[in-house]
Order: sequence, then C-alpha cells, then structure tokens
Amino acid sequence: MFASLPSALREHGLNADVRTLLLIQKASIKGLCKTLGDVYAILRAAVVKDPKELGPFTKAFYQYFLQIDFAPGDTLLDAILRSETFKKWREDNLDRFGDDLDVDELVDTFLSEVHLTSYDIKEILDGQEIWNNDSGDVEDEDGLDTDGESRLSKLEQMADYSGLSLEELLERMREVMKQQKGKHQGGSHWIGTGGISPYGHGGAAKDGIRVGGTGGGKMARMILNDRKYFPVDRDRTINDDNIDAALSALNGVMEETAETKLDLPKTIKDGIKRGGLFLPELEHHQHKKLQVLLLIDNGGYSMDPFVRMVQQLFRKMKTRFAHDMETYYFHNTIYDRVYTDAARRKSLPLKSLLDKDPAYRVFIVGDASMAPYELSKSSMDTYRKMSAQFSRIAWLNPEKEKYWHYVFSIQVIRQLIPMYQLSPKGIEEAVREMNRKSI
Amino acid sequence: MALDTYWSGSDKYLCDPQLAQSFHIARTLGMPLLIEGEPGTGKTELPLQYAQDHGLDLFVYPTGSKSNVEQLVARFDHVKYLRDAQFEILDAQREEKGLNQKSKSHDRHTDRLEDYVVKGPAALAYSKANSVLLIDEIDKAPREFPNDLLYALSHRKFIMPESGEVIEVTEENMPAIVITSNREQELPTAFKGRCIYHYIHFPDADTMREIVAKHHPSLDDKTVQLAMDIFYQLRNLGLERSPTTRELLNWLKWVKKFSSEEAKEKIQQLEGLGVLIKTQTDLERIQSQILRHPDDFHKRSTPN
Repeated sequence: MFASLPSALREHGLNADVRTLLLIQKASIKGLCKTLGDVYAILRAAVVKDPKELGPFTKAFYQYFLQIDFAPGDTLLDAILRSETFKKWREDNLDRFGDDLDVDELVDTFLSEVHLTSYDIKEILDGQEIWNNDSGDVEDEDGLDTDGESRLSKLEQMADYSGLSLEELLERMREVMKQQKGKHQGGSHWIGTGGISPYGHGGAAKDGIRVGGTGGGKMARMILNDRKYFPVDRDRTINDDNIDAALSALNGVMEETAETKLDLPKTIKDGIKRGGLFLPELEHHQHKKLQVLLLIDNGGYSMDPFVRMVQQLFRKMKTRFAHDMETYYFHNTIYDRVYTDAARRKSLPLKSLLDKDPAYRVFIVGDASMAPYELSKSSMDTYRKMSAQFSRIAWLNPEKEKYWHYVFSIQVIRQLIPMYQLSPKGIEEAVREMNRKSI
Repeated sequence: MALDTYWSGSDKYLCDPQLAQSFHIARTLGMPLLIEGEPGTGKTELPLQYAQDHGLDLFVYPTGSKSNVEQLVARFDHVKYLRDAQFEILDAQREEKGLNQKSKSHDRHTDRLEDYVVKGPAALAYSKANSVLLIDEIDKAPREFPNDLLYALSHRKFIMPESGEVIEVTEENMPAIVITSNREQELPTAFKGRCIYHYIHFPDADTMREIVAKHHPSLDDKTVQLAMDIFYQLRNLGLERSPTTRELLNWLKWVKKFSSEEAKEKIQQLEGLGVLIKTQTDLERIQSQILRHPDDFHKRSTPN
C-alpha cells in the first residue's frame, strides 16, 4: 500500500519517488521505523527539502496515514475534529479520558500519540530503568522488581514494531484501507486497536507512565500552533497567511544578467600609468531587472477582497527590489483603454500600453467572469494583441480552478491568455512558464 | 555499526530533539545530514560537539567560493612530483661524473605515485572508521561543487587521482557527514535528495533559556530574563540583520564580567549593543527609537 505513497506526496507538490520507498524500507530494516511518529520523522527528513515544504508535507502525511482530509481553508484542528479517525480514537479511549477533558487537550493527546517516536519511548524506558535500579534492595522487593520488569517488557513489546516485517506492516495497512473503503467502519485501525500507538488502547497509560511528555507532545503543540508546520495552504487563493509564499514564488520573475564591458576611463588611466601600454580593463556589471505590468480588475464586488491582497503582494515585491512596475485598472474586461488610478478616472489608451517594451511581464488579475455580451469581439482582440505583444503574460484568477469550467467567459479568455489560480502555487507555475519563454 | 546510538547533545550543547533524531537517522542510514537555517543557530556546532563528546576524529572542510571536490577528496601534487623527478635526473648526472648523490631528505619515491597524493578531509575521514566529517557552508561553493559531490556521497568510496588507490569504507564504519548551509543559494534538487534534510528553526524562548543556561550557568535567572526580553524585542523590530543565538551568547559573555546589579544596569542601558547589532542602519534605527520613546522601550523590556 505504500506504493501509492510517492504519488500521494507528489500531489502536494513534494519530491518523492521510488527512492523514498527504498529509504523507508532501509530504515525499517535498520529498526528505525517502529511507530508512526518514526515514519513521520524519517519521511520528513527524506522528503522535505525546504522549510516551506513542511506544511504541505504534514498535510499529505495526515491525509495518507490517518485519512484526515482537509477542506480548503481548514486549520489542522478543524480537520482533525471532523475526521473519522479522531472520532474512533476518542471512542476507543473513552474510558481513559472520561468526559472531562476539553477538546484542545484531547487533540493534543491525539497528536502526541501520533507523533510518538521510538526516541520518546526510549526516553520513558530509560527513565523507568533508572528508577528501577535506584530502588535498591533487591531482596526485599523481589516481587516489585519482577513486576517492574514485566511492565517494562510489556512496554517494549508494545512499542516495538521492528518485529514486523515491512510486508506485514504493509499488509496491515492494506487491510485498514480496505475496511475504510468498504463500509463505514469508522476510522483507522492504525489508532486505537494497537496500531500506531502502542499506548492507544489503555495499557501503559494506566500504569502511570505519562506518554508524550517529551518529543511527541512538543511536536504536537508545534504542529498545532506553529505556522511553519501547518502554515500556508499553497493551493488557496492568496490571503494574509500565504502572501509571503506568493511573494517568494514571484521572486522568480527577476532577471539577473551579468555582462562584461570595457571600462574605458580605467583603461586610459592605467595605460598612462604604464607609460603608454594600454591593456583593456574590463568591468563586470550585474543587473537585476524586473519589468512588470500589473492589470487589476477592480470593478464589481466579486473582486473587492482580492484587489487589496494583490496590491499588497506586488507592493511588497516593489519595496523589496525597487523596480519598474506599473499598475493599471480595468472593469471586468479590457476594451480599448485601461485606467491609471483605482477610481478609474484617468485612462490610458490601449495603444500606449501595447507600445511598451515586450520584455515587460504582464500579470492580469481578475475573475474573468462576465456576461457573454461583455466579452465582445473588440475585447477579445485586445487580449489577442496583448499576448502577441507580450509573450510573457499570465492571467491570475482568484476563482478556484475547478469552477473555471462552468464559466463561459473564463473558457474563452483562457484560450487567449494562459490562466493560473491566484495562489502561491499558481503564481509559481505562471512564473515558471514565463521564464521558459524568450522575448 | 558501532556508533548509531542516539545522541541528544552534551552539557555544552543543547540539541533540539528533532535535529537529534534527524542526525540519528542520517547516521544509521549512512547518509549525510544537510542542515540549513539562519546563521548563528548552531549548525556547525552539532558535529563539533558530537565529535568532542564521543572523542571521535573530526575532519572539517570549510567551503569557499573557489572550492572544488579535489580539495575535499584528494589531489595529486604535480609540482612535488616534477621536482623529485628532476632531482633524480640530477642525481644520475652527478653519478656519471663520479660525484656524491644529493641526499634526499624525504622518503618519497617517484615510482610510488601514491606518495604524491595529498588527501583531503573527505578521504581522511573515509579511511578512519567512525570519524566525523563536516562540510561547512556549502552554499558558498560554486554551483558545480555539490553536483560533483553527488558521486562521492552515493557511493562509499573514493578513487585517488593518478595512483588509482581506492579508499572504501564499510557501511558500519561510515563517517558521520554533516553539511551546513545558510541558504545563500539554492542547492540542486538531486543533491538534496541524497541527504537527510533538517531545517533549524529559530529557538523559542524556553529553548533559548536552556541554551543560555548551558553556556552561562553562572548567570542568574533575572539577568538572563532581562537580556532575553530585550533580545526578542530587537528581533521583532524587523532589523536588516536580526541578532541570533550567537550574538545573544556573546552579549551575555560580556555582561557576565560584571556583578549581578551592574549587569542588569548594563542590559537596561543597552550597553554593548555592538555585539548584538551588526549593521549601521540597524544601530541608527534602534537609537532613534530609544530617543523617541525611551520610557516605552524600557518599560516593555522590564520583566513584570
């Protein structure tokens, strides 16, 4: 069943392939994969190659291993509370918690158990061992000692999955998945019935050993509260949370060129110093160039929430790099003019816009949704001319991609100008596509 | 494998549990650990402390803008070889004329090419079981460098130039390889794929307190708290170059020289700010802020 793991990870834009599987296999042979927390740690170390991938990875992991699904805009807490896995886990552990734990604490415990690694268990065991050894008088407390020992071995047995071969592990997962798909069984068997968490089903916790106090628990709180872990939804239309990710995606539009030029004054000066022997002195120039035309649809209520975000996004870019950027506005669609101010009073004829350097990168931001009669032939001609003049042009649409299909005007405009969703991921794709095109 | 035990830091070095886990995974799987993160968060410290704690041999390769794999692995010393060869000709000529041979002050022989191979840190680390190899600040290297390293990292052997000697290491004796990067440039994906990756996030206040306690155990809690309040406040100002762990530790090192009361006074007055703030614009910004709201700044920085 792990076979589908790489593709599941790839869906979230992560780099994973068969080597990832081999790595897990190797790790499990070496005895590193004993709990689900271990699997998380190893996969993270193998797959996440950039801090910004941590969020998508965590999401993918929860989806794949715990069947916790995320609706767009969900926080981790929402998703967990909604999931069958969590409900099942809660039912199974009712006797452990009773009713007096509040939801936050429950989720915290749940995550602690999910992220419990064998390192944490080791730590608990070590502590136990020290405690046992400390309680000296062996003869006197013979009974107690054996009791302690049996508890230890029980703990160890429960914690240790290294006895299972990878095949068995896979088989177990496969069954879980099958049941999940077949009928409404409620939740994953990984949790609860002795799956992921050795402590899930009563057992050790009752013996008074606190679980998840160290790494696992910390991990859980980190993931819940830290934006680095569950941060930016890269598929989501940009908002205050993911604007920085969008900005970093936009960074790709910067062009760096380096050229070598003859430094004439220096050549002459040094030549004279050498008594008439003129050697060419070269000068290295590095240019960072960024030319952007931004066309924003600021008419209509549908666009209102996005106009501010888009302006903020590009303003951030401008202050960071100080470049050549011009912003224009239009209403619904572009005919023969665009406007230089947000109130759309001062206009600029389309001809002047088309006279600009073709090296400009053009971003058109709008929902492209309008009545069919609004998208007249003249407007379509405008888009044709624009994409002929500016080869690096992209339409960023705040509307979700899956709805594009239902809007006629989107369908038409898409044919003329490449369209991407106004999300960090969409912007990244747009920029990548632009960079492939030469002027 | 002798040294795949879990190591969670020493009394001098607080290792974040996640980093410790990644390090352990990397060692167990015999893969290099690539650590990225802000400057001054203890990336380089990890292998140094680990080696020291276990008494292992440490080989360091600081990367620079002219680094290449030859320097890291091994190169053939052509100059020395040529010189020795010429000496031999000279000796032969002297012998012909019945003169004494110039005595050689070395035990190299031009027939033995391996005498002229200069081994770099990587080759040395591979020939020593369970050593530690640190490749520091790999992002400073030219782009080819990490790509050239790929082969070496995915196989457990090096072939020495000219002599053809093979240095091979068993999986059991594989050195612990740690590579650090400040993310000044993106590393190639294929390279990252060969490594276990860990990103050090900036430590939160609790962790920072523990780190400070490890380095300056003699400082009392109040002084540390005071300094940390100011430290985190400075970090929140959005400076060009925010102070990091290293700067805080250095500042406290200086503060430590004074008595507790004096130290608090110094911290309040932001004395020794040059340790924390490294650019002129940042310094000016802070000073203007203090001038504008001196009370405010101090009020907020005083623990309640």
